[in-house]
Amino acid sequence: MSVETTAPVTEGQVTQDQITGEAVLAEISGMLRVLLDEYGLDDVEITMATKFHEDLELESIDLVSLSADLKERYGNQVNFAEFIAGFDLEEIIAMTVGQLVDHVVVSLREAARG
Amino acid sequence: MSRFLFVVPPLVGHVNPTIGVAAELVSRGHEVAWAGHHDAIGKLVGPDARVFGCASPELVPRGSDLTGPAAFRFLWQEFLLPLGEAMKPGVRTAIGAFRPDVVVADQQAIAGGLVAEELGVPWITSATTSAELVDPLAGMPKVKAWLAERIDALRGGHGGPDPRMSPHGVLAFTTRELLGEVDLPHDDVWLVGPSIVPRPSTADFPWEWLTRDAPTVLVTLGTANADAGHRFLAQAAQALARLDVRAVLVDPDSSLTEVGDNVLVRRHVPQLDLLPHVDAVVCHAGHNTVCEALWHGVPLVVAPIRDDQPIVAGQVVDAGAGVRVRFSRATSTHLSDAVTAVLDEANGHRKAAALVGDSFRAAGGATRAADHLEKV
Repeated sequence: MSVETTAPVTEGQVTQDQITGEAVLAEISGMLRVLLDEYGLDDVEITMATKFHEDLELESIDLVSLSADLKERYGNQVNFAEFIAGFDLEEIIAMTVGQLVDHVVVSLREAARG
Repeated sequence: MSRFLFVVPPLVGHVNPTIGVAAELVSRGHEVAWAGHHDAIGKLVGPDARVFGCASPELVPRGSDLTGPAAFRFLWQEFLLPLGEAMKPGVRTAIGAFRPDVVVADQQAIAGGLVAEELGVPWITSATTSAELVDPLAGMPKVKAWLAERIDALRGGHGGPDPRMSPHGVLAFTTRELLGEVDLPHDDVWLVGPSIVPRPSTADFPWEWLTRDAPTVLVTLGTANADAGHRFLAQAAQALARLDVRAVLVDPDSSLTEVGDNVLVRRHVPQLDLLPHVDAVVCHAGHNTVCEALWHGVPLVVAPIRDDQPIVAGQVVDAGAGVRVRFSRATSTHLSDAVTAVLDEANGHRKAAALVGDSFRAAGGATRAADHLEKV
């Protein structure tokens, strides 16, 4: 997996400049690949435009796992439940990895600003 | 003596559990009738049953790519809400003609609860799947509001109780052993266990094909998913051909061409008659198939497609009675591993399935449901 070559975003130890969409995308892609690991995602490129449902076919149980992964990685700085709760039905259907990445970046930058 | 009207959608899994309850009520001297799509309901409840016809839109076939929240939107927008609107006049007529003392309204036949409430007839909810009991939209308040608004619009927008969850009582055809330790919506949710009674089977079966020399595996995707299952069935057929088992695959569309010698493909099977001879079931985690398998102590490989199935699959896994695979991505390797795992006694799935089955029988099923209905 390519994520290991990307410097992780570590809470409290980074300046705002280091919290980039690119780094967060790499981390979240890594989480998704672990989640779907034994089902071979090798042929699927995860980008900002990748859709959670249509492209990755994530199930609700996966969102629960992803929420736990995000919490483990970013602590309380990122609130996945709040992110989901903000969407209406059409938005949930069309939800992309990029939206989550942006949410994480904004949340981390806000936390870094203190 | 009282009269009970069952309001049901044209969905096999939602009608079958009412048949046992109705039979029990009749044996106690009560009168019963159904309201729903005349032909679809009639062939399930039998020619002697009284059925008040209701208009009904068709549930158009849904492809395998319609899953998750898109499937939820489709189910409600294209089927359950139009069904609720279409059934209202028929339910009103049925209540007027039959004068029921109690209406038993299925959670997906929302006209039942809406019209009974409007006419002031006591009504009980029939929850043939437990998914709604766990508040599946709790984390998505905007989606919850979307649905509540549309349901309310069906009754004229003046508010009232949720037609899927009667405040007077909810018959839930499950037990704690399967449902798990979740908070129930209110105190009058009665966990009566599945209502499983012998039903006339229209499917013949070559019983001599079964053998005691190898475990038997049944693969079925239920009555509402044929069009979505072709890829999965093909992978399952390949997986089972590799194992030392006898396999029965239900393939309603005859989508499978070549299968191994140990695999029997049938368009329909007499599922209840077959289950006592089965050692593992591979299915879509439809609530009825899951409960019928567990009733017989048979462990499961669950591959939920959509709707309530992911929740039911989670319950099976949490109860220890089976393993879960991904419906859209599972290959023959995933499936042969999963079947091997549930057949292995050492993994405890069979024992866990038997424990859930014991809880079902202890819960009383149709008998217990009739007890509750008599007290309304």
